[in-house]
Amino acid sequence: MKKAYDQNMEMATNDNDELSVLTPQPFGEWLKMLCASQPQADFWFKSMELDLLILQPESEVFEITDFTTASEWERFVSRVEEMLNDWKLMGNSGGNMSPEKGEYTSGTWEEKSQDINFADFKFYITHHFLKQKYGKDDGKDKLEEDTFPLAMQDLLCMNNDFPPRAHCLVRWYGIREFVVISPGTNCEAIISESKCNLLLSSISISLANSGCQVPVFVQIQQKWRRMYAGECQGPGVRTDFEMVHLRKVPNQYNHLSGLLDIFKSKIGCTLSPLPPVNIAIRFTYILQDWQQYSWPQQPPGRTYRTEDDGGGVSFRTVPTDSCPDCIICGLFALHDEVLFPHIAKSMLVGVDAQHSQLSPPQVPHHRFQRLVLTERPQAQRGSFYCYFFRICICKEIVTSVLSRSTVRSGGKKSMRMSLLLEVKFHNNRPESSCSTAFWNHSLKKPISNTLHQASQGFTEMLTQIPLYLFPDAAVEKSSDNSKDNTAQSNAWGKADQDKNDNNLFLQLKSAPSDSLTYRLALCVCLVNYNHGGLRAVAHLWQEFVLELRYRWENNYLIYGLTGGPPDLRCCLLHQKLQMLNCCIERKRARDEARKFLEGSKERERRVWGGCQNVRPVPESSTAMTVSTSTKEVSPGKSWDSWSDSDDEFFECLSDQGEIEVAHTQGESKAEGRLHPYNNMTLLNSMEPLYVPVTQEPAPMTEDLLEEQSEVLAKLGTSAEGTHLRARMQSACLLSDMESFKAANPGCVLEDFVRWYSPRDYMKEEVADERGNTVLKGELSARMKIPGNMWVEAWETARVTPARRQRRLFDDTKEAEKVLHYLALQKPADLTRHLLPCILHAAILKLKEEESIEDIPSVKQSIKQATCQASKLLQPPNHDYKKLECIQHMLRNEEHAVAVTSDILPSFTVAVKDQVIREARKRVVSDTNGRYVIIIDVKLLAKMLARRLEKVLPTILELETHALRDSAGAVPVEEFKKCLPERIITYLNEQKLGVADGNPPVARLVLGRTTVKKHSPYTKALEDRRFCMLNVERFDLSGAPSTSVTCF
Amino acid sequence: MASATATYGQKESSDQNFDYMFKILIIGNSSVGKTSFLFRYADDSFTPAFVSTVGIDFKVKTIYRNDKRIKLQIWDTAGQERYRTITTAYYRGAMGFILMYDITNEESFNAVQDWSTQIKTYSWDNAQVLLVGNKCDMDDERVVSGDRGRQLSEHLGFEFFEASAKDNINVKQTFERLVDIICEKMSESLDAGDPAVTGAKQGPQLTEQPAPPHQDCAC
Repeated sequence: MKKAYDQNMEMATNDNDELSVLTPQPFGEWLKMLCASQPQADFWFKSMELDLLILQPESEVFEITDFTTASEWERFVSRVEEMLNDWKLMGNSGGNMSPEKGEYTSGTWEEKSQDINFADFKFYITHHFLKQKYGKDDGKDKLEEDTFPLAMQDLLCMNNDFPPRAHCLVRWYGIREFVVISPGTNCEAIISESKCNLLLSSISISLANSGCQVPVFVQIQQKWRRMYAGECQGPGVRTDFEMVHLRKVPNQYNHLSGLLDIFKSKIGCTLSPLPPVNIAIRFTYILQDWQQYSWPQQPPGRTYRTEDDGGGVSFRTVPTDSCPDCIICGLFALHDEVLFPHIAKSMLVGVDAQHSQLSPPQVPHHRFQRLVLTERPQAQRGSFYCYFFRICICKEIVTSVLSRSTVRSGGKKSMRMSLLLEVKFHNNRPESSCSTAFWNHSLKKPISNTLHQASQGFTEMLTQIPLYLFPDAAVEKSSDNSKDNTAQSNAWGKADQDKNDNNLFLQLKSAPSDSLTYRLALCVCLVNYNHGGLRAVAHLWQEFVLELRYRWENNYLIYGLTGGPPDLRCCLLHQKLQMLNCCIERKRARDEARKFLEGSKERERRVWGGCQNVRPVPESSTAMTVSTSTKEVSPGKSWDSWSDSDDEFFECLSDQGEIEVAHTQGESKAEGRLHPYNNMTLLNSMEPLYVPVTQEPAPMTEDLLEEQSEVLAKLGTSAEGTHLRARMQSACLLSDMESFKAANPGCVLEDFVRWYSPRDYMKEEVADERGNTVLKGELSARMKIPGNMWVEAWETARVTPARRQRRLFDDTKEAEKVLHYLALQKPADLTRHLLPCILHAAILKLKEEESIEDIPSVKQSIKQATCQASKLLQPPNHDYKKLECIQHMLRNEEHAVAVTSDILPSFTVAVKDQVIREARKRVVSDTNGRYVIIIDVKLLAKMLARRLEKVLPTILELETHALRDSAGAVPVEEFKKCLPERIITYLNEQKLGVADGNPPVARLVLGRTTVKKHSPYTKALEDRRFCMLNVERFDLSGAPSTSVTCF
Repeated sequence: MASATATYGQKESSDQNFDYMFKILIIGNSSVGKTSFLFRYADDSFTPAFVSTVGIDFKVKTIYRNDKRIKLQIWDTAGQERYRTITTAYYRGAMGFILMYDITNEESFNAVQDWSTQIKTYSWDNAQVLLVGNKCDMDDERVVSGDRGRQLSEHLGFEFFEASAKDNINVKQTFERLVDIICEKMSESLDAGDPAVTGAKQGPQLTEQPAPPHQDCAC
């Protein structure tokens, strides 16, 4: 690095234009420049270097000592250089023999890794290389100065196209040695262009400084994209490795001619005729027939891994002529220079194989090389989440979605679904609320029609949703007294959680499994995936909110939520539901109290016990007094309308029940006593000191809390602010004081403090006149501060028992607020709310499956995913990009579990336990984070036999260890020996499927050419492009080499 | 675990004069000296009697630590039993706690265990806690020895200080130590704290598998 910099200095001094480099922050400038235009910068370096060769003698003169503190970037560059040095990758690598045919397959690939830091960003630098069989330095000394670097030679070498088992870079570029720098385990991907350019320029400098001719790559974008950019430098020549990744194949590149067009345009060759381009193509086919089984959708919460669409088995071959049994894959190597540009247009139309003549029967060569069972990892849960994510981005509001759905008759399924939902929701209610009646009325006709059309299973599924969400509705019907199963439901919610789970939902900030929120999440997911997507979700949500309103209006507690104030550790939606439940609970208690009161008025002469039998009164609301306040009941008003008035009063709720005033003699004024306090008596009388019945503080959800603390914080830190804050929060204190005064007539502030804040009442033993020690007490100094909050509040406090005070918590207002909030949530908001629950469910499910299979590597990734998810799911901002990565991770793990659980059982009969254990250990993730199991080929054959007998769909990917070891080629006959006869027949039949127009799942096209550019003096430069067309992705990578010496 | 990281770096748009903002809570029994302690730290003042805190109050102080400006928003809570439910609601979102007792008051010391349980229940998992025995200037009235405090702190896994707001002993140190612990935790969870790394050390590493490192994909 130092060298480069010194060179730079000299450049600067010799060139007036570059003087800016000498300004105090030359590197900042540099970086900017590099980021802005990386190639130019590189070029600049190169030409600089050349100039410097001439200037070399002077370099000592311009010793710059000021820059001893290297920037992070410099340090990184020198670290990379160090690594290259350590691995002895410096200097000329050219001249090695070109690899033998098949050597990439038969040889051993090795890798060395090291951590490397750029500032606090961790990278992983890995050197991959093919272990050479013979001595590396044979004849190295004899090399000319000018030979191309080895990598560039490899680019053009055709001996090792399509190595079956190698790093993707090897497959794309055919190189045998390279270095990859990828972000560390916990680091973000390099996504921004400037970051990427910065890295590439670092590499450029490192390579230039060290003279290393091994290509160095940087992994950019998210890991799963497998994007690499890189560079290779040789004497007077450089190759850029660049890449494009798209999720879908653009139409024009779906066939060979389109690809050739890109190729040509990228070469930028003006010469005509065009030099010949070598093309090699490989198709991969997949057995489709295995998938002809539909898999019934299972209800959420239970296993739903069954379906996988388009999975299967693929076999690949490499040219020979003796594989009639090769089922699936054709590998076509058209190493025909004549092919281009004279290739017939008809041949070029379809690399998509259906219409082209490049179909399997015409394949010139087949050789059975190895067997790969691939899978399409479309595990179902994966797509569940995937779709779920899509909604998160959607911005539409419920009503607009719904109106659209009613207008359009196209979405029949979802219409039916929504109608059914209504029916189900509302049928379950003992009585219809206003809104329900409306729905039922307006929609009755279509319901009956559609009901007939609906398939049985579908209807059943939908029937289950409301019941699944509100299981108490069914109970209600039968007993009509579900009001008392709150306790049950709460117990149910609690009992179901084991400790682990408990921890998990806290980590993810979701909700307890089996809580209503959690079940809602599963339902939304299911409905979205299976029954009409967005519209169905909107409908489900609307119905859900209606149901909640119904429950609020009719005093039915919401089932499946833990009682008490909102649990701030859960997701906001869950808190809101809990809040609503709190409101319902309080309202119910109040109403019950009033009814009871009215009842007792009517039957004034009756006995107490008789009253209680008339109406089941929850225990909590027995705290009542006969004494009625004048304000309390205005006959004629319905119970429900009570809460509308401004003067609302708190009805005490306490478990102990209030001690009847009647029992206390003398002080008949006392009201709202709970129990005596520690046998204390009032200071000014002999009356015992009573703890009053007090109002419970208002429950809060986290958004309310945040709002409040923001308000409090806004008051600032001044003394006035502090005072104002105290005042704002004094409502509770005041209420308690009033209750205390009511319960203890004739009390003083000292009495209150003795109960409320005992340490503020100082007791002292003092000797009185007669010499007896008397316990004397007084308020603490801080309570005596004149005009302090407590004194002030005490003076303003009236004598009012809690039940006649203004409510601290206005349940009506709060409930309406919650319902309003819920109604305003768009489907997108809803999914966002439920996202933690979904991830929670996914992880739980995975854990459960994994625990059966016991795969260490998966266990770890689950841990990792959980941890990352818990990080990401904490408010305030959810980063959906990153969450999507987690989704990918989970999908991978699900896949891994599926691999084991599907495959390993097939061995249980045939193979000993030990083998299974062995196999389990061998579930490993490869460089792309996907899972494979490595199994002996004979086992595989046995397994195949079993599987085919069962004709199970497969979610598996197998790599055959033995096949790979035997130098890349297993005689077909030998393999066939392992397979039962009828499987071979089956496989043979499948071959027809290919000819019938099964599209290949993956297509690979390699093109390369050598062009003379610029002038005849320059060397011929190569360009190799690789194109991968896949169902899911389109990768286009290129490695054009350019000459850096201009003439 | 690393739940708080999302907000660690969060900046308020109104005030850009800091790199991080930490929310810290001071809790403990009534009249152990929480408010005095806070005033000593934030204003460097001491009054023998502050009005008993009603609900929750706060002060702000910005400090420099490791070249970073850290704004501390320190919330002072009411210690009375009756305020528990109100104050615990504020626990969530706090990155650090100062759990205080009065060395001249046995009861406040006995309550420490309870407070610590409250923290565990209501706060973020990675909130850091410091145990502080206040009023150490009143050694003649001491009923809780320093050793007992230390033992308890070890038992609970908190760091421990004896301090005096009146004589300004260990007040600044307490806060600075807490900030340091939070910073440590933060950087830990940012780069290495993940089980992704730590977990990999425990279990068998993927690279140790006999499997060859490369594998081609379904293409």
